[in-house]
Amino acid sequence: MTTAAKPLARRHAEEHEDPRQYLMHDPLPRGQMNDMAMEAMHETNPIFWIVTAILAAIVVFSLGYEWYILIMQGQGTAGVLRPDYWGVFLVNTVFWIGISHAGTFISAILRVLKIESRRPFTRAAELMTTFGLVQAGLSIFMHLGRVWLVYWMFPIPNERRIWPDFHSPLMWDLMAITTYLLCSTMYLFLPLIPDLAMARDRTAGGWLKQFYKILALGFRGTEGEWKNLTTAMNIFAFAIIPVMFSVHTIVSWDFAMASRPGWSSTVFGPYFVIGALHSGMAAVAIVLFLLRSTMKHYKYFIRAEQLNTIGTLMLLVSMAWAYFYFNDYLVPWYGGDVWDKLVQEYTEKGPLAYLWYTMLIVNIAVPWATLWNRKWRETPWLLAIVGFLINVGMYLERYIIIPVGVTINRMPFTWRQYEPRIEIPMTIGTFALFLLLYMLASRIIPLIPVWEVQEGQEAHLIRKVGKAEVSTLSDLE
Amino acid sequence: MPETTTLLAMFEGLEPSAEGVDKLQQLGVNDDDMNIISGVPIKHTILGRPPAITYVSRIGLFGAILGMFLGIFFIYGIPYLYPLLVGGQPIFPVPQGFIITFEMTMLGLMGFSFIGLFVDSGFPSYTPKQYTPEISDGKIGVLFSCPASEREKFIDALKEAGAESIEPVEARHL
Repeated sequence: MTTAAKPLARRHAEEHEDPRQYLMHDPLPRGQMNDMAMEAMHETNPIFWIVTAILAAIVVFSLGYEWYILIMQGQGTAGVLRPDYWGVFLVNTVFWIGISHAGTFISAILRVLKIESRRPFTRAAELMTTFGLVQAGLSIFMHLGRVWLVYWMFPIPNERRIWPDFHSPLMWDLMAITTYLLCSTMYLFLPLIPDLAMARDRTAGGWLKQFYKILALGFRGTEGEWKNLTTAMNIFAFAIIPVMFSVHTIVSWDFAMASRPGWSSTVFGPYFVIGALHSGMAAVAIVLFLLRSTMKHYKYFIRAEQLNTIGTLMLLVSMAWAYFYFNDYLVPWYGGDVWDKLVQEYTEKGPLAYLWYTMLIVNIAVPWATLWNRKWRETPWLLAIVGFLINVGMYLERYIIIPVGVTINRMPFTWRQYEPRIEIPMTIGTFALFLLLYMLASRIIPLIPVWEVQEGQEAHLIRKVGKAEVSTLSDLE
Repeated sequence: MPETTTLLAMFEGLEPSAEGVDKLQQLGVNDDDMNIISGVPIKHTILGRPPAITYVSRIGLFGAILGMFLGIFFIYGIPYLYPLLVGGQPIFPVPQGFIITFEMTMLGLMGFSFIGLFVDSGFPSYTPKQYTPEISDGKIGVLFSCPASEREKFIDALKEAGAESIEPVEARHL
């Protein structure tokens, strides 16, 4: 009589994973983590300042000189002409708003769902939201042309004696983006207060001490202060999620509310939201790679589990994006409206068809071919490359929707191929400004929310069950 | 009224802190005369403390209502005062009303919650405070007042609970 009916499978190496590979199970004393966060901020090599100087020069040229030219010589210096009045400036607006969605998604949704691997990189993602929205706002101003008259959009008396029309999708846009910018900036600041207090306690003197002292607001960490802070953070975490969804939905309505072929789509709202998350997640992957590679001690905080979390989300969002894109494609194709067919044929077979094919490859094929594998998801450089390609694809998607989309309209005599001109250096300027702001912020504020990491580490325990060590989470929060 | 003294007991970890709080309660220190200062939020039940009261959510709710009315004014009040007829569209549309009203409600909720934090916590406050930087390095401080004449009794009890240091604390600039 045999004791085993079938041979047993060989033991897999992954079965013996040490729980200590996870940040929450590999605690260090709080003082040491504080030291690491402060050292990462203050230890800078010359290459950092060289890159900063180059970026600053690009910003001055692109957003200073080139914008001056645009204002003085008018929108004619840009490539916008009938029918392509909406060009790259609006592509940039939609793109940067998309990037900004990552911060809220990572910070708010993962916080609400209590996904623990989020803890070390919430702030890095939240900073992307604020700085991304700055670029989106600047891009709208570039598109406005006479930017000094922006106050006409606010409900204040003006010389025209006309108040804003709140029935217009463009006014909804203004309200939604303003709400999102203000709220996400406040949401960035709230969990920063205890870390600013930590930085205040660890800074001996000088302007930085005063800076931390002012921004820490006198925070000590009393019971009342923590209660107020965590209550406010909870309100923000829940409330900012629908605002995030509303922002990109309203951005999509800028297009969908027009009865224009290719734009008038009922699925545009969720399709834009998922597109925003697609580019935002991918941007977080790039940021994590850069932080891990360039900032001292960040390999302790940003580990394979964080990369795996982001990689998994990127894969899921890519699938969702493909689903919505297919919806948006299929219905007009099946409907057979002559103008919709023309738009689709122009996109697929026209002179810019290569953009459409590239978009599909990098937004769908690349993430699906790579991110299914956990080892690849946990490889920082590979994840960053996939993230970069997805962002290229999402930029192309917005380019196809906006300037390529407006080319084909119901007045064929106006059809014209849009070619960006001054928009190109100014677009480079927004990317340079984003990087510059991020780099400068990384020297001033702790990008790791140390108190949140410690809070998580205190709540996690390793328990031995039989011969295995099992991770458990206590109810400390 | 007997003369009182304020002491700050420093603990490493939650267990001794909870025991220290327990000792103070046994010695008759009121919950109101005690405060926990820590580098991370600690659930009140862990240390056997009453829950801290916060008005942030109520202030936030007030802001949400204010924002909602402002949104309604924008979408219906402004067209009433300054009608702008566009292509036969209604002056007072209901579905569009939801959009601006929603945005203003959420702005009011979050804006006032943010302000509520400042109001309820007394931020910003740059006056001298009883504090030590060891708190942000992970230590837990129990700040309490006791009769000056019984000071030694309190110190002994807290040492027994595992306090690393118990010292009179003076307000200092942070």
